[in-house]
Amino acid sequence: MTVVEGAVPEGQPLPSSPPRLEAESRVLLNIERFALPGLLIVVLLFFSLWSKTGATFRSVTDLREVGSNQAYIGVLALASLFPLVCGEFDFSVGQVAGFSQIVVATAMARFHVPLPFAIVLAVLFGAIVGLNNGNVVARVGVNSLIVTLGTSGILLGVVNWYTASQSISEGISSKLVTFGSANFLGIPDVCYLLLGAAVVAYYVLEHTPYGRYLTSIGSNARAARLVGLRVERLKLSAFVISGALAGLAGVLLVAKNGSASPQAGSVLDTLTALAAAYLGATSIRPGRFNVLGAMLAIYFIAFSISGLAIAGVQSWVNNVFYGAALFIAVVVSTVIGRRRAGVT
Amino acid sequence: MAEQGQDTNASADGGDRPGAQGAPGSASVGPPGAPADPGPHAAGVGRTVLRIEHLSKTFPGTVALNDVSIEIERGTVHCLVGGNGSGKSSLIKILAGVSQGDPGGTITVDQSSEDATRTSPEWARSAGLHFVHQDLAVFPMLSVAENLAIGRGFPVATPAKAIRWRELRAQAKTVLERFSVSVDPSRLLRDLRPADRTMVAIARALQDQSSASEGILVLDEPTVALPAHEVDLLLSALRRYADAGQTILLVTHRLEEVVRIADRVTVLRDGKLAATLEAPGITEEQLVELIVGRTLDRDAVARDTADDDDVVLSAFDVSGGPLRSVTFGLRRGEVLGVAGLLGSGRTKLLSMLFGAYPVAHGTIRLDGEEVRFASVDDAMDRGIAFVPEDRSESAFVGMSLRENLSAANVSEYWHGFRLHQRAEAQDARQTIAQFSIKATSERQPFSTLSGGNQQKAIVARWLRRQPKVLLLDEPTQGVDIEARGEIYRLVRQAVAAGSSVIVVTSDFEELARVSDRVLILTQGRVTAVLRPPDVEVSRITQLVLSTAGAGAPLEVNHP
Repeated sequence: MTVVEGAVPEGQPLPSSPPRLEAESRVLLNIERFALPGLLIVVLLFFSLWSKTGATFRSVTDLREVGSNQAYIGVLALASLFPLVCGEFDFSVGQVAGFSQIVVATAMARFHVPLPFAIVLAVLFGAIVGLNNGNVVARVGVNSLIVTLGTSGILLGVVNWYTASQSISEGISSKLVTFGSANFLGIPDVCYLLLGAAVVAYYVLEHTPYGRYLTSIGSNARAARLVGLRVERLKLSAFVISGALAGLAGVLLVAKNGSASPQAGSVLDTLTALAAAYLGATSIRPGRFNVLGAMLAIYFIAFSISGLAIAGVQSWVNNVFYGAALFIAVVVSTVIGRRRAGVT
Repeated sequence: MAEQGQDTNASADGGDRPGAQGAPGSASVGPPGAPADPGPHAAGVGRTVLRIEHLSKTFPGTVALNDVSIEIERGTVHCLVGGNGSGKSSLIKILAGVSQGDPGGTITVDQSSEDATRTSPEWARSAGLHFVHQDLAVFPMLSVAENLAIGRGFPVATPAKAIRWRELRAQAKTVLERFSVSVDPSRLLRDLRPADRTMVAIARALQDQSSASEGILVLDEPTVALPAHEVDLLLSALRRYADAGQTILLVTHRLEEVVRIADRVTVLRDGKLAATLEAPGITEEQLVELIVGRTLDRDAVARDTADDDDVVLSAFDVSGGPLRSVTFGLRRGEVLGVAGLLGSGRTKLLSMLFGAYPVAHGTIRLDGEEVRFASVDDAMDRGIAFVPEDRSESAFVGMSLRENLSAANVSEYWHGFRLHQRAEAQDARQTIAQFSIKATSERQPFSTLSGGNQQKAIVARWLRRQPKVLLLDEPTQGVDIEARGEIYRLVRQAVAAGSSVIVVTSDFEELARVSDRVLILTQGRVTAVLRPPDVEVSRITQLVLSTAGAGAPLEVNHP
């Protein structure tokens, strides 16, 4: 923490702890805050400079590949952030994206709906699923993990029934597919979409009273109610946003793959998104789910795995790396956070 | 007074222990038959099993217990009463071994003495002191049998350590029969009525005693959460246990229970022994006089009305939850204190006024206009602020001090599609200075502030809104003495700035100091309203205690 700027009127508050401890805790906080961006830089430098991987890793195609592959996961992580901030899980984001790609593809292929409307339809569909989830969680009061897990199962079943487990690849708007593979100023278009969504999410969560309300509910729902927040309504809205963003992620998936596959968009993607959100919560604003942290987490993992793959490491190592990164980050962050708070 | 206590004590030593039948109200108590173990009954009775000698306890700045000596005899119900801060809980804590005497004293259980500076939970257990606290520490989602087994261990089959359910049930059945608790051992505890839950907790505490004449059962306000008819059930059971030879030390605020069940009663006042008396024949009035420390003046105590020109907030015939037909008016610029025992409905009253608890019947008026708050933000919009009793209902521990300060007015910083965080921080620094909150910066995590500073910040959160009516529920609970003073200084500032305040606190000294008038709440009813010069500790204590447990309001309300 830096020194408070601005004049404090007389009766300046006294420090509650000795200065040395204060300094130590400030150092710890900064280590914690910037560990993840630091690691991302280390990973990028290491794989770029290592002779075994450098050439391929540095290549523009590889960087683009990683960047655009992760855009879908990034939007999914944003979707999962809103319920997480107010203390709830949305375990259905991956499957909502999976269903949404079928919606957008079917709308275009079978009903010849123009692209913009198809997209709106898919996002709307996600929002309706979110509304249903939020309603059961906030108003009926069922555990969100169970509710969204159930939703996820139903959606998976319906997708498999409707598509007969076949991909939809005919009749998809070429504009959408082009968007999924085109670059602007050398950067994939889908990355701009992720950037836009992330900026909006950051703004909403950090710079509006609405975001503060969600954080308050996540911190202490009873207290939130007693400062006049409509807890049920706010939680409900978080699930609606989550659903809508997951719907958008589904559209992104179709753009990237050029088709809608009943196998794409699954609980596995949900886990990846949630893990990124958790990993991100150890950084930038430690102890809080935050957009920038989640985005850094996604690219830290993605570039690490890409580098390892180029180095010829077997694919099972990816899973281990992935799990270990999450495990270590969360444990270290908890330990540091506790030390900082003076709890031993 | 202390001498009187010793006198009665001495005379009791020589005399016979009065029969249980002598206690007034024992007619309603269960049949004296069905003792679980009549054998040692006769043998054990009349002997001192617990002797507390010269017990003292000092805290920085206060003496909680001052040379207190008590003797408790086998097979009796011995009640311990006293006002807030009389030293009851300090004494119980020392007996339980969670705190120690200082400078000390001696505690003798069944001939074996222990220095009071060395008590520990292990000592208490081995000495045969069994505690059942107000919070029963039972497991609602487990069955009665599992609850009974959880402290002592489950019967298991040898190789795989699997629970032998049939044996567990049989054991539970035996225990329940021994303590005459008629419940099915396989029922979940949450499905039992409250009195039976308490009895299961008692059975659990006593199950390892081989006979009733062993050990001492210490009950700390066991009837607080019980409705009236269940209190009867519990008291009858306690009487039966005592008749069977069980020694019971009962801490209670409800004097009516003392009159009904006690064989003897010890009164503590300001940390000193006020008296130990033979209970049969004693009246509530006598007890109140001993607790308060002076004779009662039965002068006029006015009943409040809701109609007055200068009333800002009023309740008329309001019922809901524990509250029964509550009528009162809060005057402009006044600090109205509310005094009542736990369970009297004092917290529910504030919640209702804040729109956080439904009003079943009656009307609430704000500035003469009837209001029905559908939710908390309705009440907030109308200028009402509420600081709840428990900081777990008001603190956002994971967030910063700044965010906690602006939790009730963040929207004020939102204009032009921006949250003006710099202005928010500026205001936070100003509040920190104005309310002398000790913090390194407004960005400090709330969890790292001391309890007193957290509470100051929460009060400040609401005073920022310049409320018309400020509702404070135990605003100084768990707060150090310096912060207490500061919190009330802030409250007075708010009053000077035009707020009116209702404050609930169980610290009657504090209540007397800060309140202009005091409302006495007893079992959901307003039984009296004190005005100066009656707004003082002994008067409040007297009225709170003397009506406790009595169904009807105290008849002292001549205009």
